[in-house]
Amino acid sequence: MILTWEYPPKRLGSISDHVYALSRKLIERGHEVEVLAEDDLKPGFEDMDGVKVHRVANPVKTHPMGSILTSVLTASVRMEQEASDIVYYYRQIEKKIDLIHAHEWLTVPTAISLKHTFSLPLILTLHSLEGHRCHNAFGPTSIAIKEIEETGVHESVRVIANTKWMKDEILRYYGKEHKRKTNVVPPTRKDWIPKIVSVYEKGIGAN
Amino acid sequence: MLVLQLTWEFPPRIIGGIAPHVSDLSRTLKNKGTEVHVVTCNFPGADEYENIGGVNVHRFDAYAASDSFLGWVLRMQKNMEIKASDVISNAGGLDVIHAHDWVSGVAGIALKHLYRKPLVVTMHSTEYGRRNGLHNDLQRSIHEIEGWLCHEAWRIITCSNYMQDHVSWCFHQPEDKIDAIPNGVNASKWQFPFDYWGVRNRFASENEKIVLFVGRMVLEKGLDILINALPILLRHGIPAKIVAVGEGPEREKCQRMAWDMRLSEKVYFTGYIDDDTLRALYRVADVAAFPSRFEPFGIVALEAMAAKVPVVVSHVGGLAEIVDHEETGLQVPRDDPEAIATAIERILRDEDLKNRIVKKAYEKCLRNYDWERIAEQTLGVYNKVLREWSSVPWKPT
Repeated sequence: MILTWEYPPKRLGSISDHVYALSRKLIERGHEVEVLAEDDLKPGFEDMDGVKVHRVANPVKTHPMGSILTSVLTASVRMEQEASDIVYYYRQIEKKIDLIHAHEWLTVPTAISLKHTFSLPLILTLHSLEGHRCHNAFGPTSIAIKEIEETGVHESVRVIANTKWMKDEILRYYGKEHKRKTNVVPPTRKDWIPKIVSVYEKGIGAN
Repeated sequence: MLVLQLTWEFPPRIIGGIAPHVSDLSRTLKNKGTEVHVVTCNFPGADEYENIGGVNVHRFDAYAASDSFLGWVLRMQKNMEIKASDVISNAGGLDVIHAHDWVSGVAGIALKHLYRKPLVVTMHSTEYGRRNGLHNDLQRSIHEIEGWLCHEAWRIITCSNYMQDHVSWCFHQPEDKIDAIPNGVNASKWQFPFDYWGVRNRFASENEKIVLFVGRMVLEKGLDILINALPILLRHGIPAKIVAVGEGPEREKCQRMAWDMRLSEKVYFTGYIDDDTLRALYRVADVAAFPSRFEPFGIVALEAMAAKVPVVVSHVGGLAEIVDHEETGLQVPRDDPEAIATAIERILRDEDLKNRIVKKAYEKCLRNYDWERIAEQTLGVYNKVLREWSSVPWKPT
């Protein structure tokens, strides 16, 4: 089960295309993929050539000062609901979700609840860090987001970075103790998907 | 039956009326054979896990960095949810989730779907009522969250008929989804020996008549209205002294008001005081006045009635249901200092009226607001919800 804040047609940045490519390629290799995305404009279920896409809208529309933090936290609860429904559906047809792959801090609140409730292994890809996005500014929103990022790294069984540099940055911000569980898997490489799948398998094994 | 109580405040962490409410409710439910687990914010000096007379209290780390009060409340509830998950897996499941207000309700919604168990919500108040309308984005946001919570709740509990009507109207909920169950009071708590003059002399001189106000000092509680009634009382030759217990953003404004009226020495702001002193203070007061502009229930009026102090309240919300005019207290119109002054004067001058009111009020406390009875009604809601839940396909698989 992949958790993301953006999935085509919604595009905030490049994560949308990244997750799209990832989900398609996993399907081609015979894996089953459920994608859970936040999307206020296109909520609902869609089967995109085999990728099961569940889009949820934020149940709370008004947020003071357009706060990204509060808006993420209310939408997360709606996402947990959708994710729980998927888990229970799989159980009903006597299958199971093997792991959660969360992307960015935005999906961390949902991911940790699912991990705690259903004992699922959690793998987190950090595409960027709040420390970079806000140029090390210590505004209250940034501090909160950094805490959520840190919780995400701490709670994950494996962390994926797209570049070696990103791995070093994650360790610099959130501690060297995460060195062993942080894997570099560049999406530009030919063996991207086999590498991702091997991280998945390690994650499932370690849980 | 295993019930999870979600609350952001639980003694010793006390912010408003929810902490004593959940504490009394949990204790009585436990005595009726229910297994109760309270999940609440941590507090300096309070243990992470505590067994209080059979009630399991689990405290989680409520600290979370945030950019706003709303952001904190939501992040705090994420921690509440994770703690509750751990509690549920240790307890081996649960039957009913009971959340109190939007400050714990969001965690309730999440847990409802994660575990597919029914969610019962007590709406102690509403943002719309607290602010007398919605005036900015923060208030609109909280209002939306409350609406979402009422929508997700299997059943809603309110503390008065007034609130049942208000919640139904405010969030477009059918009236038959809402149960009005009053708050309770443990009247025996007010019967204890104490040093009458020792306590009284701390707050007023011997000839002064104590007019007691207890409440958060916010606009909705109307302390300013009571202070405006004070000069009228004094002009009529009544040596009244207001003793105002509580804290809040309006405290400074009210202090300034009393100063400008040259009445600083006639209004005593005590701030927060401990439970024992407060109960003794009720006992030494001559009259208690609660001039609220909005009041979902008004537990303070009930406490005064249990302490056998005559009460003067404004005709709003739950207060108007607790206090029957001329029977168990006196009611005055909302926002009317002259009417309050007149009512207080009547009580202080007419000993017969006072004795009659106090007697009937105490009887009403024992009759209608006994926790045993309230816990019974709450259990009735849980049982109804469980019965309905067992007949629908929405279940954990």
